[in-house]
Amino acid sequence: MKQNDVKFTLPLLDAPRTLRVRFRKVGNLQYISHLDLQRTFSRVLVRAGLPLWYTKGFNPHIKMVFGMPLPVGSESECEFLDIRIEREMSEAEVMARLNAELTDELSVTAVYPAMRKFSEIAYAEYLYTVVTAGADEALADRVREALTTGPLTVVKKTKSGEKEVNILEALHRTDVRLENGAIVIEAVLAAGEGKYLSPEALITALREKTGILSGDPTVEHYRILRRRALLADGVSTFS
Amino acid sequence: MNEKISSILKSVEKPGRYSGGEYGAIIKEKDAVKARFAFCFPDTYEIGMSNLGMRILYGALNREPDIWCERMFAPWVDMQQKMREYDVPLWAHESGDPVKDFDILGITLQYEMCYTTVLQVLKLSHIPLTAAARGEDDPIVIGGGPCAYNPEPVADFFDCFSIGEGEDNLVEFTKLYISMKEDGSYTRAAFLRRAAATVKGIYVPSLYDVSYHDDGTIAAITPKYEDVPKQVEKCIIADMDKAFFPDKVVMPYIEAVHDRIMLEVYRGCIRGCRFCQAGMIYRPVREKSHEVLNAQARCLYDNTGYEEISLTSLSISDYTELEPLTRSLLEWTDKNMVSLSLPSLRVDSFSRELMDRIASVRTSSLTFAPEAGTQRLRDVINKNVREEDLMRAVNVAFAGGKTNVKLYFMNGLPTETSEDIEGIATLAQSVVHEYYRNKERPKGRSPQVTISVSCFIPKPFTPFQWEAQDTMEMLREKQEYLYDKITDRKVRYTHHDARVSHIEAVLARGNRKLCRALALAAERGFCFDAWDEFFDYDKWLSVFADTGIDPAFFANRQMGLDEVLPWDVIDIGVSKEFLKRERARAYEAATTPSCREACAGCGANRLGGERTPCPKRGN
Repeated sequence: MKQNDVKFTLPLLDAPRTLRVRFRKVGNLQYISHLDLQRTFSRVLVRAGLPLWYTKGFNPHIKMVFGMPLPVGSESECEFLDIRIEREMSEAEVMARLNAELTDELSVTAVYPAMRKFSEIAYAEYLYTVVTAGADEALADRVREALTTGPLTVVKKTKSGEKEVNILEALHRTDVRLENGAIVIEAVLAAGEGKYLSPEALITALREKTGILSGDPTVEHYRILRRRALLADGVSTFS
Repeated sequence: MNEKISSILKSVEKPGRYSGGEYGAIIKEKDAVKARFAFCFPDTYEIGMSNLGMRILYGALNREPDIWCERMFAPWVDMQQKMREYDVPLWAHESGDPVKDFDILGITLQYEMCYTTVLQVLKLSHIPLTAAARGEDDPIVIGGGPCAYNPEPVADFFDCFSIGEGEDNLVEFTKLYISMKEDGSYTRAAFLRRAAATVKGIYVPSLYDVSYHDDGTIAAITPKYEDVPKQVEKCIIADMDKAFFPDKVVMPYIEAVHDRIMLEVYRGCIRGCRFCQAGMIYRPVREKSHEVLNAQARCLYDNTGYEEISLTSLSISDYTELEPLTRSLLEWTDKNMVSLSLPSLRVDSFSRELMDRIASVRTSSLTFAPEAGTQRLRDVINKNVREEDLMRAVNVAFAGGKTNVKLYFMNGLPTETSEDIEGIATLAQSVVHEYYRNKERPKGRSPQVTISVSCFIPKPFTPFQWEAQDTMEMLREKQEYLYDKITDRKVRYTHHDARVSHIEAVLARGNRKLCRALALAAERGFCFDAWDEFFDYDKWLSVFADTGIDPAFFANRQMGLDEVLPWDVIDIGVSKEFLKRERARAYEAATTPSCREACAGCGANRLGGERTPCPKRGN
């Protein structure tokens, strides 16, 4: 029997079950947009032969709900996707089947029943690694100062035009250090609905204020890695 | 991917075009392979990844443990600019390594308007533009695809061409390269000479002298050496059931233009429309059996997760096993929520049953291609479709709930008169009337008939290869004439840009003298001429003027039946005599039956082929 047909032989559940899939999206995959990621997952789920639940309409489709957005050019260790299955399949098997259809740069790190709502996500923790000209303790100090005293602003485009946003208001805590010649920033940014700050904004603001990353882009570069999603206390991990 | 490229990615549009890392991409140990092959589709990633030929050849080459074939695309203009700014040579998609360090660069030529992009790709790769300027360390540049059937306009830029179907041919070519490298006999010249002499379908332009008459026509095309074939015969895969089939598919993350399973049902076409190049160059017709196709479709579904299967071939309803194929597909596609689609429909074989089986039931539109407005002209081009066939087909569509019908036509076909042009408008109007006469039509909705009119381009290896293209003024006049004849707002009219069709005709029927014009175009930065936003007609005219090329000589001149044509050096299996006979029949408005009904003696059956409907082969 074809791998994809096995799903038809599994026992039906009383009601569709929602599973939370946590995955990483790193390396080359940082350049894939949210829309492209959705399309990719819709095929991965099918390829994996999962017993997916389809909406009952004129145009049946599978149900996928993603957690907070991740901008193109940022990497993440903690992305979330909720899926719905209609037949019995263990979480371990769902994970194994998904990973068989994925690459290292986009791979599933956990599958479990969804307990919390995505709306409970209030913050996200990021690790910035900035390789820039003149990275020394003095520059690290300037970055630290910019992130603590402010104001540190960035122009945000909204439907009603452009407005200036003070990043410090969305900044929960930061730590800046010099590591192997790179400026390393750990930052917890607001990520709740309506308060979400794109991690890219921090780079944009710091570039303007402190002059980092304004040289040759083939020499200077930076990496943004989302490490955790956090609850309202800014400390506990969302899962 | 190296750091340098990776950093640029943050500052370009759609970086997913360049980032790679796709599921299904083939990564090999570069030190463990004997030849590195870059397969270039000279357009954007999204277009290249839609090409079935590229997928097949990628798989066929990579099946060889000694060969690592990588993909390569044309970077978009913003990326090109960054590459120049930071001096980054064009890289291969999988490894990120510069293509200039590869052994072989294959470039597929799918349409003439990609030629300028091909030249920019070479420049961006830091590979010398012309074969003559390349040194021992540069890659061998080989061209292929449908435009390679007349390779002369780009002959200077390629070391060689692969003529015909490349699944086996490119592998043999690359193996010869490896063996000559290994036994130490390799030099560029020795390899090309040996490939021309021993590998079927390999054409090496530098091994031929072309002489000209005073009037600019060709006097002779002569091989420089005894062992170089006078005519290069194309390669075919005889048995399509045994042809290499790419079961592992590279899944693009960003949306390709055709993002679905493409199931190649058969090669060739039984019809023989006299303007159609594909209908001639892919002869003889060779089908896959429905059992093999069903198994391949299932395999592709399991390996991709695509929700749509498109049955691709030149005229899908001519497939002899269409009924058993769709029946066996539906056994598993339905319950897996997979839909079927057909890209091309002939009105004479369109039925309710067929429509119900295909995915386009979800859309409200169907497309047919009558090509000409009157029966006389349809007979001239051998379309073998009657008005009543079209009316029957649209009635089936309307009764099945469709309201939109798209009709393809061509302006400037040989013998076209104003009556034929008016016939396009009349035919579209009749379709509208037919809608209102149909009692089963969708209630309370009005129809939309779209007529899309392209310009006839005489193409090599067709019965119309000798014909003159209408001048631009004539084409524009015809377009306006048709516009005036359309009075109903339910008929929508769109037409191709005659200026593009004119340049396409020049490039399609050009000879080697065009190389100097293309070289100048490359110098002036032409690129992406297949894209409306970059095509600039006046710039093309000045390139021709500055290189002493008269575009009308190639596009608007009636070529002599006994003239040596630039592409006479290629043998597609179909004889020139047959093309002449078909041309004569066209002028008598006499049709020729399809291959299945009777053999018209085109000559292609001497190439062999299994499961072909050719009556001469007793299948």
